[in-house]
Amino acid sequence: MDPEFRGDIDHHDGTSDALPGGYVEKRRPGELGFAIFLTLASLGLLYSAYGISGFEALSSPGSVPMATTTVMLISALVVAWRTAKLPKVAGETLSKDILPVMVIIFVGFLILFGVLLKPLGFLPTSALFLVAAIKLLSRKGWGYSLTIAFLSLFVIWLVFRIVFTVLLPAGIVPEAEFIQFFRNLLSGKG
Amino acid sequence: MEILIAILTVFTQPQLLILVGIGTFAGIYIGAIPGLSVTMAVSILISFTFSWEVLPAISLMVGIYMGGVYGGSRTAILLNIPGAPSAIATAMDGYPMAQKGEAGQAIGVTTVMSFFGGLIGILVLALAAPFVSEFALTFQPRDYMLLAVLGILLVGSLSTGSLVKGIFAGALGIAIGSVGRDPLTFTERFTFDFKLMEGGISFIAVMIGMFGVSEALQQLQNVNMKSVRQKIDRIVPSFGTIKKYLPLSLQTSSIGVIIGALPGTGGDIAALMAYDHAKRVTKNPKVPFGQGAMEGLVAPETANNAAVGGAFIPMMTLGIPGDAVTAIMIGALFIHGLNPGPMLMIDQPDMFWFIVGALLTANFFMLIFGLTGIKTFTKIVEMPRSIIIPLILLLSIVGAYAVNTSITDVYWMLGFGVFGYFMRHYGYPLGPVILGVILSRLLDDNWRRAIISEREDLGRFFEGIFTSPLSLVLFVSVILIFVSQTPIWTALKRRLFGGETL
Amino acid sequence: MSRKLIGAIVALGLSATVATAQDYPTKEIQGIIQWGAGGSTDTVMRSVTPHAEAALGGTVVMQNMTGAVGAIALNYVVDAEADGYTLLMGAENPMLYKIMGLGDEDYSAFTPINLLARGTPLLVANVNAPFDDYAGMLAYIAANPGELKMGATGPGGLPSVITAMMNTVEGKLDVIAVPYDGDGPALTALQGGAIDVMPAVLGAAIEGVRAGNMKPLLVFDTKTNATLPDVQIATDANAGYATYLPWGPFFGVFAKNGTPDNVIAALTSAYATAAENPEFVDLMNGRGFTMMNISGEEATDFLSKWQQGTAWLLDDAGLTKASPADFGIARPSN
Repeated sequence: MDPEFRGDIDHHDGTSDALPGGYVEKRRPGELGFAIFLTLASLGLLYSAYGISGFEALSSPGSVPMATTTVMLISALVVAWRTAKLPKVAGETLSKDILPVMVIIFVGFLILFGVLLKPLGFLPTSALFLVAAIKLLSRKGWGYSLTIAFLSLFVIWLVFRIVFTVLLPAGIVPEAEFIQFFRNLLSGKG
Repeated sequence: MEILIAILTVFTQPQLLILVGIGTFAGIYIGAIPGLSVTMAVSILISFTFSWEVLPAISLMVGIYMGGVYGGSRTAILLNIPGAPSAIATAMDGYPMAQKGEAGQAIGVTTVMSFFGGLIGILVLALAAPFVSEFALTFQPRDYMLLAVLGILLVGSLSTGSLVKGIFAGALGIAIGSVGRDPLTFTERFTFDFKLMEGGISFIAVMIGMFGVSEALQQLQNVNMKSVRQKIDRIVPSFGTIKKYLPLSLQTSSIGVIIGALPGTGGDIAALMAYDHAKRVTKNPKVPFGQGAMEGLVAPETANNAAVGGAFIPMMTLGIPGDAVTAIMIGALFIHGLNPGPMLMIDQPDMFWFIVGALLTANFFMLIFGLTGIKTFTKIVEMPRSIIIPLILLLSIVGAYAVNTSITDVYWMLGFGVFGYFMRHYGYPLGPVILGVILSRLLDDNWRRAIISEREDLGRFFEGIFTSPLSLVLFVSVILIFVSQTPIWTALKRRLFGGETL
Repeated sequence: MSRKLIGAIVALGLSATVATAQDYPTKEIQGIIQWGAGGSTDTVMRSVTPHAEAALGGTVVMQNMTGAVGAIALNYVVDAEADGYTLLMGAENPMLYKIMGLGDEDYSAFTPINLLARGTPLLVANVNAPFDDYAGMLAYIAANPGELKMGATGPGGLPSVITAMMNTVEGKLDVIAVPYDGDGPALTALQGGAIDVMPAVLGAAIEGVRAGNMKPLLVFDTKTNATLPDVQIATDANAGYATYLPWGPFFGVFAKNGTPDNVIAALTSAYATAAENPEFVDLMNGRGFTMMNISGEEATDFLSKWQQGTAWLLDDAGLTKASPADFGIARPSN
């Protein structure tokens, strides 16, 4: 085994944070594309940083952003250059090893979650997400998925909304009235 | 004698003892849940304990603070999601241990070392508070800037893969940290004229996204793999183990106290710096760093708990908060009719010693609760992945939302989650990104303050560095660490000492 | 029990009925605090609100929503329904958003429920500064142009207003303005000698002054301050300050315009009662704040007068992004 290799032995997936995935001497599918994307993004950010205050003064609000984006651009260029020279990993494809269907589905779920969170409210959105996700992953019955989803959602809601009074988006659920009702009930004012 | 009585006040009233205990217990679990921060819990407690007497209110808050700083390590080890920023460094080696089924042992060491670090912090608070706070005050903007540069050089030790990718990640982090309206001039930076970007990107959202969401997405690929069974027979580390790490933990605790006592820097930076320090001084770790090195747990956990005692130093002696939590405690003391400031130590020394006593008690409770709940807690990682992945994702969303009650933060969190997923796959380290975000303001603000103070004159700026002993020490450290990470050093060493290198 | 149940079902089904406006509050109220936990605004709001809750017979859940000098919180409340269930708990900053280019809204979109208290600005100096009073500072600046480091907290903050006042009254002072992100960090830096002088709100500096860690130079008020009776007041130092004083940052609770009158009335009376609570008054006095406890017309007048004076002062000093005239802010008559 390559002594320089620090990745995961069997899957190169960066499962542990301190051990990034990837190969040292080979290029994974999409890796060059990612490196080029980062280079272009750095270039765009450098331009944006220049737009903050130009070369006005050493203390201007744009000076540190300009310095950091320059470092980003240079390092991204180096990475892209090195990546381009590496041979491809044999036997890996983008759809199998980097973006399997399940990952794409879940990213879709998360985007949907973000879109629905405000109009629908926290409780319905989360319930839908949990039920769908658990059903999809566990491949067990509806009863199992529903029970687990609702039970854990209830606990999370209790901790965040009731104990820590975090105002989660209420959406279509008249949550505040509901809580006030129980509060009145408890204080005997109902 | 009077001091001893004040310290022991906690024990004379069972009610106070119970409150410290409840606080510590609650703190551990608040700290363990990403998105629920100690800062938040303590500020809610202010309204909650409003009508209480001052001692019970402080007891509860001190308990939560102590427990919370420690609790963050739990989820960092078990799920690779740091429950609190101060536990980021703990995830580096803690999570690999959990993957090998050594979560119990990792938590055990973490608990004992947190206790030890906490103890050192309290000891320094009790014995040397005025001295340390005087030292902390002498830090000028240029010293804070040098400290930030020193922190940024940690990129080297946080990037196990390719150094260039690490440098990119670190610079990206600094850029992320500068998004939004600049806090000094209110100029818009990287907002692209979007209103919702004016508030900047919440650091917690980046952290939860990069660590939590990307990890969960990663796990989707092996959802049917059996969870690692955790060995939980040896939780309490042996005396030999503790003795072995004693020198290291003393050093890292000192780092923690100092960084904690500096206004504007807290446990998160302390833990990362301690991690770097451990990596530098540990010549031959039994397990390499990043793969479950015990030293990688000892260093950040002693440092972040030592930082608690450190943060109280400027608060108690000068009325200046050492971090966000002590800032809220100052507010709480005000509400309870006390005037935290330099006069508090003179007018009401009992209050100072009572807090020392409460901290000490909380530290012991932390040890007890930390070592007893482990079996149940490690069960979390043994849950089927089909349940735990959706739960991690949901918790990440709620956590990111809760910090600022902002949907925008949720979007950022999701975006960085997906981005982090790709970074993992292509061998870009995530640690430096978080490091960059943490240090961004420290570097940027203080650089500008320093250069403005010298009327934009670089010559005067360097003159300032060379005429101040503190700045000079920091500057020389920056140069030395920088050189030691570049190939020049290796070449130089080879020439000086002959063929053998480390 | 059955009546309670029916009540609950009704409440659940008809969340926005006419009945809710009449017996306010029927659900918990959100209080959005513009500044972070532990800051002055936070402390004031968290200590007054429990008393208001008692008077109102409801629950106010407070949330800190920080960012963009408080504009994020302000916009959040502007976007919420005008039903009295989302309140803004803020400080003076929004009055300058428009001219500073920080936002399109200010308190004119809100009905003040209560303006609780006002702070007094105080000029403090590092203990080792080579002068002991205001006149000494002016002489030092004249003798050493561009050497004195003065703390600042960004455009529109208290130091920028006080500095603008000093520049207008005394003529342009040649000093270095070192920016900080709040008066807490700046006062810390002052004690460490990173800056020499700093205009700050009295409450934030008072403990340092009492302990002799900072030197008070000048109280920016027209009357001798009860907490610091020996410190010179601005109008004694230069009569020119009378045009702008009394001036100070303030804290207030606001509801969006269009909130039903009976809801405004309920909230106003609750906060008025709360602001009279002796514990709260003691707390505010201890921190050096001047209680105002005003609402209705009186509060609106105070706000527009405050805005006119401050906006034009900053505009004359050349610190604004847009002229106050663009937003219909009239130049103060005197």
